[in-house]
Amino acid sequence: MTIGDWNEAATELNEIVSSFDEGEVSVDDLFVKLERATQIIESLEARLDATKAKVEELAPRIARAAESE
Amino acid sequence: MADEPVLEVGQFYELVTFQLEAALGRRHPRWVRGEVAKVYEKTHLYLDLVDAGSTSNDAKRPVLNAHCWASQWNPLKRKLADDGVTLKPGVIISCFGYVDLYAPQGRIGFTVTAIDVEGLLGDVARRRQELIARLRDDGLLEANKNRPLSPVPLRVGLVASPGTEGYSDFTGQLLKSGFGFEILLAATAVQGEAAPAQIVSALEALDQNGVDLICVVRGGGSKGDLACFDDERVARAIAASSTPVFTGIGHTGDESIADLVAHTKSITPTKLGEDIVNLVAQWHERNVRVPAQRILGATEAILDEATEYVGERRRTMIFAVRDRLKLEERHLRATRERLVLQSDHLLSAAGQMLTSVRQLLGAYDPVKRLAQGWAIVTVADGRVVRRLEDVALGDVVRVRLSDGTFASTVEQKDGERS
Repeated sequence: MTIGDWNEAATELNEIVSSFDEGEVSVDDLFVKLERATQIIESLEARLDATKAKVEELAPRIARAAESE
Repeated sequence: MADEPVLEVGQFYELVTFQLEAALGRRHPRWVRGEVAKVYEKTHLYLDLVDAGSTSNDAKRPVLNAHCWASQWNPLKRKLADDGVTLKPGVIISCFGYVDLYAPQGRIGFTVTAIDVEGLLGDVARRRQELIARLRDDGLLEANKNRPLSPVPLRVGLVASPGTEGYSDFTGQLLKSGFGFEILLAATAVQGEAAPAQIVSALEALDQNGVDLICVVRGGGSKGDLACFDDERVARAIAASSTPVFTGIGHTGDESIADLVAHTKSITPTKLGEDIVNLVAQWHERNVRVPAQRILGATEAILDEATEYVGERRRTMIFAVRDRLKLEERHLRATRERLVLQSDHLLSAAGQMLTSVRQLLGAYDPVKRLAQGWAIVTVADGRVVRRLEDVALGDVVRVRLSDGTFASTVEQKDGERS
């Protein structure tokens, strides 16, 4: 099952967490939901790491513009 | 006529010279005012002066051939140049001098020993004010000021004389700024008679070139050196330019007419360079540096927020699953405990039931019944005799008692009435 963009993934993850908070998860569903939540979290972390790496590459270039007078 | 002495020509000129010198000679100098009709300089200065306002078409117009010897002319020339005054046709001057007569050509001349510089300057100032008034009347003082200026003027047209201090001062500011200025030079003379026409051509060429602005640059100098920037042709060319014209003319006195009609003036070429660099720097500040800082700050905030979000969701999931599993464990444990209790209860009940059954069954124990006097009668094949019909008269039956058996023969059957 594919994972949507950041906002879609975050929405799906929030829904899973809410279902836990509200006690809606049966034991049968627990593993499925946990597995899905893990997939989403890992996907978000991977995207975040990739974005951070790009930012670290670009930030010095932007910083040069920000610091120039 | 016979009474009058007849003079030779030479004697006549001597008499004239004497009379002229007595009235207007070296010892009786006079001020003469006139308009310069012709001017010629070769070591000495030669002028043809006429009455102001007269026309050359007037054949009878009086002309005074004046000259100023180099010994007087050179210091005068320097002073006039310093004050930006050029003796040219049309200029009205007052000269102090005396008459001389050049007999070989029969010509009366005027030797100039002084020129009314203050008067000349007044005249220059008057003509300058007249020019300003004309420009104002034509709407040219504000024309170039209304030209829209590029927010980031990097393509700079330059009207200057390469190699001069003003040129170096100006370009130095742009080059050391670090910004990507592109300088399109239109080289011109920046003083002298040829300068105005060259400056006009340069302005027109650069205006067609699509530069962001045109800079007219000249280092400091005397008023005479800078006179080309008071030229009406230059002023009109600046006003007509569709490109904003900036001036950086290093004068020390009044601002030039070029300054007046320019979009923006700076007091020196260096200051003009600084002002243009500042324009670009301000644009860079607004459009590059500040946005870059905001982007960096916002990027950091977004990443921090996203990192915090993912971490928090991860922790929440772990705790939620752990809590859910603990709940299920507690439920199972409670169920198990309940089942154990119920089992004990069931077993106890079953034991009690068995005891009851056992007691009930004990009541039917044949041994106990035999002991009570009951007997079990069986026929030969072992069948228990339950009814009279199970035996016939004469059958031998076995009777079992609590302590043994004996045989008996059926001799009589008596049925019981119900």
